Amino acid sequence: MKVRDIVIRAGRSLRQAKARTLLTSLAISVGAFTVTLALAAGAGGQAYTDSLIKNNGDSNNLSVFAKIDEGQNDKPKEYGSQSESAKQGILNDKDIEKIQKIDGVAEITPEYNISAAYMTRGDGYKKYDTNLSIKTDRTAIPLAAGTLKDNQIPAGSVVVPEDYLESLGFANATDAVGKTIVVHIEKPSMIVGGKSTDSKDETFTVAAVDKKSATVLRYQAALRISPEDGKAIYEYQTAGRPGSNEYYTVNARVESGKDVKAVQESIKAAGYSVFSLQDLQQALFQFINIVQWGAAGFGFLAILASIFGIINTQYISVLERTQQIGLMKALGARRKDVGRLFRYEAAWVGFLGGAIGTFFAVATSLLNPWIAKSLSLEKGTDLLQFHPLTSVILILGLMLVAVMAGYFPARKAAKLDPIEALRTE
Amino acid sequence: MIEVKHVTKTYGKKQNTFKALDDVSFEIPKGASVAILGKSGSGKSTLMHAMSGLDRPEKGEIVIDGKDILKLKTKQIDAFRSHQMSFIFQSFFVQANENCYDNVSLPLEIAGVPVGQRRRKIEAALQAVELLDKKKSRARDLSGGQKQRLAIARAIVNDPQILFADEPTGNLDSVTGNVVEKLLFAYNKNRGVTLIIVTHDPDLAKKCDMQIHIKDGKIESITGAKS
Repeated sequence: MKVRDIVIRAGRSLRQAKARTLLTSLAISVGAFTVTLALAAGAGGQAYTDSLIKNNGDSNNLSVFAKIDEGQNDKPKEYGSQSESAKQGILNDKDIEKIQKIDGVAEITPEYNISAAYMTRGDGYKKYDTNLSIKTDRTAIPLAAGTLKDNQIPAGSVVVPEDYLESLGFANATDAVGKTIVVHIEKPSMIVGGKSTDSKDETFTVAAVDKKSATVLRYQAALRISPEDGKAIYEYQTAGRPGSNEYYTVNARVESGKDVKAVQESIKAAGYSVFSLQDLQQALFQFINIVQWGAAGFGFLAILASIFGIINTQYISVLERTQQIGLMKALGARRKDVGRLFRYEAAWVGFLGGAIGTFFAVATSLLNPWIAKSLSLEKGTDLLQFHPLTSVILILGLMLVAVMAGYFPARKAAKLDPIEALRTE
Repeated sequence: MIEVKHVTKTYGKKQNTFKALDDVSFEIPKGASVAILGKSGSGKSTLMHAMSGLDRPEKGEIVIDGKDILKLKTKQIDAFRSHQMSFIFQSFFVQANENCYDNVSLPLEIAGVPVGQRRRKIEAALQAVELLDKKKSRARDLSGGQKQRLAIARAIVNDPQILFADEPTGNLDSVTGNVVEKLLFAYNKNRGVTLIIVTHDPDLAKKCDMQIHIKDGKIESITGAKS
């Protein structure tokens, strides 16, 4: 018999036992649904984590700290056995020089701690308190208006939060771009609570307006300026003070194209603690993977259970069609043909189950906006992401599983003695 | 030409053995119509199964056109049956859920006849039994006589050389039985196809060229044979 004829006959037999076929495939579809959904949620979770990471840090950026004792030994150390920086948890210019020399480090920027007295648009405008922060990394920031080349702020420019616009008297985000903002800087007093000794105005041009986003984990409204301007302000505010040129954190940029992990290791080897975004990303992905495969595992269990359903159904089908099998054999059908007929039927059931399960799983992606809303994720986030290839592989896999489940019933059919099968008494 | 030589078939084991066929020998010329007569349990059905290769007697030869089919491999016998033989059963064995067209299509599919050649053959066979207008009707909606005519269409669709009919009129009233008999004999005469009817009906047997009487697995008598 030709494969085409067997496939058609198998399909026809299934149509004649609609309820049974449907029920058996529904059992499989439960598994297919669960697996598809788990994989979709995993894919969505990874994509979401990816965007989360991108908006919260720069994977080429390494945060370097003074060596933190891993705490395996809490006994006191002998005096003089530790480096000065390690003892104080502080990095100085010497450390910066040392890190700068490490192969693969493109540039190094300390995290300057600076502050602004107030901001204003100039004479005649109101003055406002503001945070002042320096953008040293190249993390992408969600913008309401304007552009940032390479996610860097050019010297003399500032990025203004959307929430500041109204107070500063801008009509909208686009209106603000290109305008100037004056930031008043004070040199703080050496005495706590004392009056400042000196002050000056710095004028910045608005390069862009940033906006809040659910994917930015710790958003703080602040005027953001370039590292160059930040350094100048830092030096102005700390000149001649103890503790100047000492930092808790310095940011090392890895040369693009270099292996971030390797550079991280060489900085560690030089005696520093290093944190990279990849560490976080890896931990998150691992977590997502565990959850995803855990959920998929339940789906596979459901599929396993449905296998017995297929076997049972196929056995009943063989019993019911004893006479048909006998006739086919009398007419010269080979064992192989009869076996195939039943295996293809099982394959059809597997296909149907996979298709139904996938259909309903994909249909749940209509809930994506609702899921995003109820989990207060960024609008437009699709937590369930389906890949057609995954579904195709799953359905093919289910067909294969069904065929294997149909092996014994098909063998029984193939072995049936036509004389016995056609005995009517 | 079918030659049956010293065929013996035993059922059961050890003390409970039962000889269904005991050293049976005869010859059937090509194109003849033959009745195998006997009571229920006489071994006539076993003889038909043996001649068609469905059953394998432990002794003897069944030579069809010079070939001993008992020496063929299962696969070869299957192919032989699908191309050379056909069956008609007392209980029709038409597929109730399928329409007439698909019922008749089955032997062609089994024989691997190309799709393009099937329609013509199927329609010719349905035409021969006057069921062409029922082509799309489901077999379960047919009357008993129509079902047996459908079975005949299925049996002749692939132009067999030998047609086995196991009590073909056993489940039919005399009027429809006559129609079926006429169809079978007409096919036998017009096409030169060997027709072997297994029956216990002496009236039907008389219409055949040759009668083989079987009793307790042995040939009682053969009448009508050209010697």
